[in-house]
Amino acid sequence: MKNLALPLPRAAAILALAGFVVAFGPRPAAADGGDILIRNGTILTVTKGVIARGDILVLGGVIKAIGPDLAAPPGVRAVDAAGRFVVPGLIDSHTHIAVAGTNEGSEAITPEADVGAVVNADDASILTALSGGVTMVHTMHGSANPIGGPNVVLKMKWGRPSEELVVAEALPTLKFALGENVKQANRTVAAGRERRYPATRMGANAVIRRELEKARNYMARWDRYKKAAAAKNPPRTLVPPKKDLRLEVLAEMLRGERVARCHSYQATETLEFMGLAREFGFKIQCFEHCWEGYKIAGEIAAAGIGISGFADNWAYKMEAAEGIAEMAGYCARKGVLVSINSDSGERIRRLFNDAAKTMKYGGLSEDEALRLVTINPAIQLGVDRIVGSLEVGKQCDVAIFSGHPLSAYARCDMTIIEGRVYFDREALAREREAAAPAAAAAREVGGLQ
Amino acid sequence: MRISIVARPKPRVSPAVIVVLAALALDAAAPAPAADVGPTYAIRGCRIVPVAGPAIEKGVIVIRDGLIESLGPAGKVRIPDDAEIIEAEGLQAYPGLITAFSSLFLERPARSAGPEIPFEGPPPAAAQGTREDTFPPGPGLFVLDQLKPSRAAVESFHRAGFTTALVAPERGIFEGQSVILDLNGEALLPMVIRNGAALHVNFTTERGAYPSSLMGTIAHIRQSFIDAEYYAARQAQYAKGAAGLKRPAYDPRLEALVPFVRDRRPVVFQCNNVEDIKRALKIIAEFKLNALLAGANEAWRAADVLGKAPVPLLVGLDFRPPAASRYTTQGEELRKKAESAIYPANAAELAKAGLPFALVSGANADGTAVLKAVRAAIGAGLAEEAALRALTIQPARFLGLDQALGTLEPGKIANVVLVRGGLFDEKVRVVRVFVDGVRFDYETEEASK
Amino acid sequence: MIRRTVIAAAIAVFVIAVAAGPLLAAREPGPAPAQAAPDKVLAIVNARIVPVVGPEISKGTIVVRNGRIEAVGAEAAVPAGAEVVDAAGLRAYPGMIDGCSSLGLVEISGVAATVDNQETGRINPQVRAIEAVRYDSMHIPIARSNGITAAVAAPSGGLIAGVSCLLRLDGWTHRQMVVEPAAAMQIELPGLRAARGAFAGRRSGPPPADGPALLKELRRIFGEARAYEKRRDAAAGNGLLALPEFNETFEAILPLLKGRMPAMIAVHGERDIRAAIAFVRDENIKAVFYGAEQGFKAAGEIAKAGIPVILGSLYDLPPVWEDGYDALYRNPGILAAAGVKIAFSSSSASLAKDLPYHAAKAAAFGLDRAEALRAVTINPAEILGIAATMGSLEKGKAANIVLADDDILEMRTNIRKVYIDGREVDHSNRYTELLDKFRR
Repeated sequence: MKNLALPLPRAAAILALAGFVVAFGPRPAAADGGDILIRNGTILTVTKGVIARGDILVLGGVIKAIGPDLAAPPGVRAVDAAGRFVVPGLIDSHTHIAVAGTNEGSEAITPEADVGAVVNADDASILTALSGGVTMVHTMHGSANPIGGPNVVLKMKWGRPSEELVVAEALPTLKFALGENVKQANRTVAAGRERRYPATRMGANAVIRRELEKARNYMARWDRYKKAAAAKNPPRTLVPPKKDLRLEVLAEMLRGERVARCHSYQATETLEFMGLAREFGFKIQCFEHCWEGYKIAGEIAAAGIGISGFADNWAYKMEAAEGIAEMAGYCARKGVLVSINSDSGERIRRLFNDAAKTMKYGGLSEDEALRLVTINPAIQLGVDRIVGSLEVGKQCDVAIFSGHPLSAYARCDMTIIEGRVYFDREALAREREAAAPAAAAAREVGGLQ
Repeated sequence: MRISIVARPKPRVSPAVIVVLAALALDAAAPAPAADVGPTYAIRGCRIVPVAGPAIEKGVIVIRDGLIESLGPAGKVRIPDDAEIIEAEGLQAYPGLITAFSSLFLERPARSAGPEIPFEGPPPAAAQGTREDTFPPGPGLFVLDQLKPSRAAVESFHRAGFTTALVAPERGIFEGQSVILDLNGEALLPMVIRNGAALHVNFTTERGAYPSSLMGTIAHIRQSFIDAEYYAARQAQYAKGAAGLKRPAYDPRLEALVPFVRDRRPVVFQCNNVEDIKRALKIIAEFKLNALLAGANEAWRAADVLGKAPVPLLVGLDFRPPAASRYTTQGEELRKKAESAIYPANAAELAKAGLPFALVSGANADGTAVLKAVRAAIGAGLAEEAALRALTIQPARFLGLDQALGTLEPGKIANVVLVRGGLFDEKVRVVRVFVDGVRFDYETEEASK
Repeated sequence: MIRRTVIAAAIAVFVIAVAAGPLLAAREPGPAPAQAAPDKVLAIVNARIVPVVGPEISKGTIVVRNGRIEAVGAEAAVPAGAEVVDAAGLRAYPGMIDGCSSLGLVEISGVAATVDNQETGRINPQVRAIEAVRYDSMHIPIARSNGITAAVAAPSGGLIAGVSCLLRLDGWTHRQMVVEPAAAMQIELPGLRAARGAFAGRRSGPPPADGPALLKELRRIFGEARAYEKRRDAAAGNGLLALPEFNETFEAILPLLKGRMPAMIAVHGERDIRAAIAFVRDENIKAVFYGAEQGFKAAGEIAKAGIPVILGSLYDLPPVWEDGYDALYRNPGILAAAGVKIAFSSSSASLAKDLPYHAAKAAAFGLDRAEALRAVTINPAEILGIAATMGSLEKGKAANIVLADDDILEMRTNIRKVYIDGREVDHSNRYTELLDKFRR
């Protein structure tokens, strides 16, 4: 046995590594292979109704069958979900987790600052998300700039390398922002420094318009160059335009290869941005937060734009002072494709609670409320063909709750991505107890007496 | 015990060397470079570890005018008539160690050793300027111009067996160009083996200016290489025929970058964590750079990716987990364990994966502390032989100096270290060091008893 | 002569005032007179009554007269002439009590002009929340319409943040809302996040502020306050002794030292909790802990010391990773099981309405559901010393009644009617007003 010949410190190192990964986080779920049978749960499919008691068979990460009394091939792990609720893994349409850095705030226009380039698979917020049943997030550039940067869609595969987290199928998006953050209304300017332009909503609109014009101009120059270069004898003095990463991203959006996701609060700025989109011919996929969306729900719905908003996190700044908890439900009923987001590494683990609030405040049904954190964000991210509901052929991203996920008493017990268990509350509790017998003993002495 | 380590009168020591060594010992002003023709030495009776081949018990090394003239078992090597004979019974001779990444002679405290500064929040608002005029012309800076050599620093490295060091610049994103030094005295210029050895790039930010985030930094690096390629193409186009072409504007920053994108001169990326490695590899592939990765303390975590695109690794010996690492984000206990047991095994894992790496001193200015860290890496499973190669022939190859350095072979530069005990023994004592054939004595006979 | 008389009189008045100071402080300003209660009698019939104290009544009647509960029970008779409210299909609960909020003190947290809960400086026992409560706060009707009928409004920041007050969430002025003008002296020890470095790899905080060292500072201040009182009282009784200069800090602390007001001590880590238990014992003050995120590590000791705990918002991450991802969620259950009296708090103004959900979250992680309900009703009433009038549906208590269509701690539940002192409160609020205004 060669292993026995390991130098002692190295063996100790490996043991320590194994021990601690077990103790402090769900094990990276590589070993499961994406095959699993989830049995006897109440299945909320979201798109295909409720199955009071049923099984889900998953092979290679994909749902193969949903129904009663399914049999699994030998060796496939079975998870008993009797008495529990099985729902599609929750999807958070707007977060800033699992990346190194949020804002390129030094300048107002930074479409070259790509969130996808700075994914950090080691962010423990991934675990936090999993503990609330969240399996996919849209990690976005911050809102410091009128034009931020491209965003990235990630699956919460804790323990897997960063490239495996990225969801390539997702719609490419670009972050825009309006209002107080952009005009830096709540920041004091250091002595000797000038306030950054733009400092008003007028200015914010003006710089966005300017950049869109620059991008148009850039595209036209390339078109001309390519035409000239393709000619039989291109002139020796022909000089190509210089590739500009900043304008390239905007050009992608103007060509329809990328959609806008725009942080907005007030009705006016929201309507004006819709005007810019019409003028320049780009698609707004979603308004972010959009606290005054209820004032213009008809206009937003008519334009086919979604809202990714909060349930009730409001009144933290002036432009959020009219953000009423009824917004999401009201807009959904007006025909807007609404999702509830966390925008927070903490709120993300109670996204299902936030969805439930739309029943009280927006009058939504259970089915409608659940859509706000499953299929609706999936549609917004362009991934509804692969996730967002429990259907045969979709990837098996699943959260198992102790009760109905819209109940305040519900607890997420297990989170599965592509058939692999990434969060298992019971296993975690067992491991915690095993890893810290000393701590438990101390608790008994000092605590429970 | 004598006061001076070199005052022992020896009949045939060259006067020039006496001057050099006396100056070192007495901390006098820097002397003139070594004489045109250096002395001849015959080191006799030691065990030779040539790295290029098997060890030679009771061997002889003949050094003439800074080069190794011959070496081999006693009796098979002719000792020249003019050689000063150095009795080395009981000692071992190694090639001088090479650190391919250091901050030797840099006055500032070294680059943030250990956890990097997290990218967080926007900097104070900067007035919006054009990107072009906010960058210092970093790529053209030579670190050589900032160095302040000191006897203490040389001695500290000699006492750990180091005779050669690449000194890397350490400020900014494009940090400037490094220099390779042979630590042959105290005067700077005679030490220079190669100036402008490599361009150094760091994933850091400009405080208070663009780029202020890692996203912006990556965009800035890419745009800079794009600009340099464009610049080179315009210059070439103009050189082919100026008529009808507007003269391309001179840009010292891009001018400095051109050799690295056009001529594939080496570029070193500082990679503080596993994600930095992946980010660097993408940029290297995009611009087809001839690159090395420095730091690389989490390289074992990127072994898969590195296996597909092997890049020389300059592996640091700082075992503190980086700030964003999973070993830091899951509590203090795991962080401590990682530092003592997991990170020291990096090099061993790389060796197991067959990835090419050198061990480097990095920001550590204390030679013996570097050796101690090497011992920790060995304790964590790195074979001693692999460690030795990673400090000799491997860095020599990476730096394109393996014709002249990295092993004890005839014709190579006479960088020889004589130690009592094994190089990686805790109680190792460096007795004598030869650098470019210049002799430094660090242990008197009395002291050795 | 006249002048001399005036001066003598002034001195006399001053001496009397100083001597009487503590007594006045104890009495003044006193609960506001109850608003004119409706003469009419109210009878809520056919309700499933959850009285919190005593067994649930599957179908019963609550009789309210003069703002107080006159009778509760399956058999309670409806008095002649009573206004009858048919609560068939609804559950009747006592109004919930928020153990710590910033209601009335904070409107829009990011707009400094609307924030009145954080005084500058570290030692501010002299500031009283009641004197700044904005009774027209937009957050109060929202909380109220979710079944919260009373709340502590507390200042925050520094070591001694000031004096909190207990409000009923109804009244034409803030003084009419007062249940207890001086609910507690708010004392704050540093949070765990500052002490241990931030969660999830974020930048480490400033060097840890040392809880025990801060308690030592408090002991010194308390000692000085006692010495001050002694000198002051001695001088009052003996004209030959010099009167100490008036010290507002010590004057404001004395009610706490005299046992006329408890301290609400924000304490978070295990070590600080142990130190705070000893502090409370040694200083012989009435105290309640706030926060106690690592209380589960010292639950037995807290229980033994008889110190109740008002939990902070559970909308937070565990400040210490090793405690587990759900440490804040499990903590209330462990404390309660050990015998600690716990109450929940919103620790908020804009989300004060969420008080019941903190209790439900703890119930999802081990807290007994009945105890979760007590921890937003009778427990806070007992902790705040108002259990005689609030916290349950019992004869003689104020008629703070909530009619809900389901479990009151559930998010999906709709609150149909809320009564405070027998008056049905208006359900309209900022949310409903804006929605009505812009509904198209």
